[in-house]
Amino acid sequence: MDAQAPIVIDAVSHTYRPPRGRSVLALDDVSLEVHPREFVALLGPSGCGKSTLLYLIGGFLPVERGRILVDGSPVAGPGPDRGIVFQHFALFPWKTVRANVLYGLERAGLPRGEREARAQSFIDLVGLSGFEDAYPSHLSGGMKQRAAIARTLAVDPKTLLMDEPFGALDAQTRSLMQGELLAIWRRTPKTVIFVTHDVQEAVYLSDRVAVMSARPGRIKTIIDTRFDKSDPHCFKTKTFIDKVDEIWDLVRVEAMKAQEARA
Amino acid sequence: MARVGAPLRAFAGVLASWAVLILLLVGWELVARSGFVTAYMLPPFTDVVARIFHDATDGNLAESAALTLYRALTGFAIAAAGGTALGLAMSRNGGVRWFFDPLISVGFPMPKIAFLPIIVLWLGFYDVSKISMVVFDAIFPVVTATLAGLAGVERELIWSARNLGARDRELLWQVMLPAALPQIMTGLQVALPIALIVAVIAEMKMSGYGIGAAMMTASRFADSRGVFAGIVEIAVIGYVLVKGMALLRRRLLAWHAEASNQ
Amino acid sequence: MKQTFLRYSPILLLTLAWEAAARLGLGAAFDLPPPSAVLVAWIGLLRDGDLVTNGAASLYRGAAGLGLAIVIGAVLGIVMAWWRPVRVALEPLVEIFYPLPKSALIPVTALWLGFGDGSKILLIFLGCMLPVTLGAFNGARASDRTLVWSARSMGAGRVRMLWDVVVPSALPELLNGIRTALALAFILLVSAELIVSQRGFGNLIGILGDNGSYDAMFAVVLTVAFLGFAADRVYQVLTARVLAWRE
Repeated sequence: MDAQAPIVIDAVSHTYRPPRGRSVLALDDVSLEVHPREFVALLGPSGCGKSTLLYLIGGFLPVERGRILVDGSPVAGPGPDRGIVFQHFALFPWKTVRANVLYGLERAGLPRGEREARAQSFIDLVGLSGFEDAYPSHLSGGMKQRAAIARTLAVDPKTLLMDEPFGALDAQTRSLMQGELLAIWRRTPKTVIFVTHDVQEAVYLSDRVAVMSARPGRIKTIIDTRFDKSDPHCFKTKTFIDKVDEIWDLVRVEAMKAQEARA
Repeated sequence: MARVGAPLRAFAGVLASWAVLILLLVGWELVARSGFVTAYMLPPFTDVVARIFHDATDGNLAESAALTLYRALTGFAIAAAGGTALGLAMSRNGGVRWFFDPLISVGFPMPKIAFLPIIVLWLGFYDVSKISMVVFDAIFPVVTATLAGLAGVERELIWSARNLGARDRELLWQVMLPAALPQIMTGLQVALPIALIVAVIAEMKMSGYGIGAAMMTASRFADSRGVFAGIVEIAVIGYVLVKGMALLRRRLLAWHAEASNQ
Repeated sequence: MKQTFLRYSPILLLTLAWEAAARLGLGAAFDLPPPSAVLVAWIGLLRDGDLVTNGAASLYRGAAGLGLAIVIGAVLGIVMAWWRPVRVALEPLVEIFYPLPKSALIPVTALWLGFGDGSKILLIFLGCMLPVTLGAFNGARASDRTLVWSARSMGAGRVRMLWDVVVPSALPELLNGIRTALALAFILLVSAELIVSQRGFGNLIGILGDNGSYDAMFAVVLTVAFLGFAADRVYQVLTARVLAWRE
């Protein structure tokens, strides 16, 4: 593994300007460092700007105040070094599963044979063998998200940005997918920044949880959540439950603030 | 651009629209006066305005516009009422649906204007035949939209209303029709421009006054100012009708989610 | 098969009623030729070539005008959606000209290009372009930003992304706009030919009507109506195939 610089988020603020209506300060002076091959969850109530922060790192939105460094240089736009997985999958609906997974490999200019083999191996990895020629509209939510993850992983990005990737799935599928993501991540560790509002999910998956405050989004605390999670029943252990409770208390305050702000 | 406040941006948008319109008219005037094209091909905008003004003062414009509007709107009104009623009848009665469904689905995509000479043959050259042609063309989108709207009413909504004690008639007027209204309005919004298009064609073919007939007469006498005056008049009428319909929709559907993101 | 028959049986019934009414003497009173006579006249028109030559002229005009409208309209709509200056310049124009009753263009195009093919092609092009433009524009504007971002994050440049994401995203609405344009093309073609033309279906209808050969006139009218209907059905089958991924 090559030595990698951390992702540095330094005093970033962001104002959201809807086409109509008033501008909103979405992020206020956010600073965070994410180390190579670390799994960090951004946790907060809806509307706290956690997705906005992810889009800034991805280079989809311009950084207006502060700076974000990836691999030592400021983010200038989207790039294949930062793969992204969205809550609503963002699969190209007019392409089959295989064509979706092939897309990034074609852009990378891989020779045909290599492309095909690589795409197949990632489709197998996420357990979609047999569905290569299906269109996304024929797949269940969980299968769509598997396809989207395969598509992103196939490009082999150093960093994985995940925007509530399991938020649109039913409870059973979600917990299954969490386990599989963790297994994949252990095999091929990447830097992961994972946006969620699910406390259990954050504690279960990540090394550190950055708890964000209600609008304007700030990072309230960062909590270390590294402990032994190899046991599939680890979420029944006291360590796990205590962590969840600790973070819940922090989040609850913010969630209530967010509700009041909306009312 | 992103740094400007929202009201300012909306204002800038309106300003840009007007600027483009004015630019278009100035461009028209300049091209017409430049000598590149003859006044026959493209009379200057100011001449056309003068012609419209002249027609307006001697009452010709009011008469033609009134006649065209009368034919288009009467036909539209009949198509709207008849189309909604037929759609309703089809959705409630299997026999009616069996009979009309193939006629509607085959008739909708047909260029019904081809039947114009037959309608003239049967009904003569007067308003009856023009209005009949408008109805014949404009009724299809209304029936189709009404059917689709009624079929799309959520059954949970119907069950809730029944559960709350709604009887058949109340269910129809207070639940089914309001729930189908967005689609019915869409159908009417498709039908209105068709009504105007067909009214103008009928006037062009059969004459008997109206803007279409006036344009055709002007064209026959190589009076290009008259033709362009007709275009401007009919463009304004079309614009006002379409905007008015959109306004009506927003009024009637204020409860609908689409109204809030207008 | 049996279901199709049952579904369309009202049309058959109406035809039979029409035949009966015409034969029972209503025909003479209302200038209503029986369908059997119309069929005979149709075969006659087909034999002596009137239907084919006029039909070919009409279809050529329609296809040329509609083809131009589709190509130019689609490009314009997508450029408008993704290039702001073009949108600012053209959006007001589209908004002004879209509600213009397209039939008003018939005398103008005749004024410019006379009574031949050119004026019909121009008329259909001008009349059909805006529905296509608007379809492409709305479709392209509505492309999901997460799809755009996904393509960008997998290494697609701006132009590549336009072709790979925006165009396919716009396709359903674009194809819908083309369907409207197809129907409009038939209406404009037939009415222009009825009003100012040499040759073409509309012209043939007019001549036959003036001569009082109503059974032949009915035959041409029904042919045009059928062609419009068939074109729409074929188009729907084709679009369903192109959009098979949607379901």
